[in-house]
Amino acid sequence: MSEKKEKLKRKSDATIDAFKSQRLRWVMGRSQIKVEVEEDKYKKAVDSIMHDEVERSLIKGALKEKGPLTVEEISQLTGLQSSVIVQHIIALRKNGAIAEAGEKNRQYLYTCVS
Amino acid sequence: MARQDILGEKAKEEFEPVIVAYCCNWCSYAGADLAGTSRFEYPTNIRIVRIMCTGRMDPTLVLEALSMGADGIIIAGCHPGDCHYQKGNYMMEKRFEYIKKAVESIGIEPERVRLEWVSASEGGKWAALIREMTEQVKALGPSPFRATANSK
Repeated sequence: MSEKKEKLKRKSDATIDAFKSQRLRWVMGRSQIKVEVEEDKYKKAVDSIMHDEVERSLIKGALKEKGPLTVEEISQLTGLQSSVIVQHIIALRKNGAIAEAGEKNRQYLYTCVS
Repeated sequence: MARQDILGEKAKEEFEPVIVAYCCNWCSYAGADLAGTSRFEYPTNIRIVRIMCTGRMDPTLVLEALSMGADGIIIAGCHPGDCHYQKGNYMMEKRFEYIKKAVESIGIEPERVRLEWVSASEGGKWAALIREMTEQVKALGPSPFRATANSK
């Protein structure tokens, strides 16, 4: 599979996963009924959640495919910045979606649980 | 000119897009049916999927169709205020904003995805919509998914 196709496939799979996630579905569902906050603010919040969910799905996808991986390796695979990955890892660990799986070159390895 | 060049040029000219249309059962599907029974001519690039209401449309249906090689997507429902289930099309209208953003973020032109209102009496509008969409998608070229599959 060409690199371009692989990248496109990974991104679209991550987006599909994000749309299946409870978090994004919930906020999107809320936007369909009367919302008691400013619409612009609400749209921005949904956008940022969508963005986060796609990135988290990308990370989970990379871990499922080639895990366990370090932050640096995830960054190389997904093209996301390490600082962004660390933030998502904190959230994903809290949700129980990923877990630590040892160390490599003094860096933590992460694996996908769910 | 080499034979391959000629064939390549021909293949380019003959690009026939695949457009998936999700039609609501109560208005747009009946509108598409009317277009057929009224003998309106429109391109055969369309693949119609009947759904009960656009409010039932899951965004993943659009994304999955695109990732499977569809070049364009039409979501057609009842006109605002005419929904058989009262507010299904309003739900879709809201959801559609996010679908477009998601499609764009993947790297696909958002023009490939359209939300249209077609009532059961608008057979002519349906035929015109399909003609317009086919021309638009032909101008855009094959979807990036198809293009990368061909370049493999």
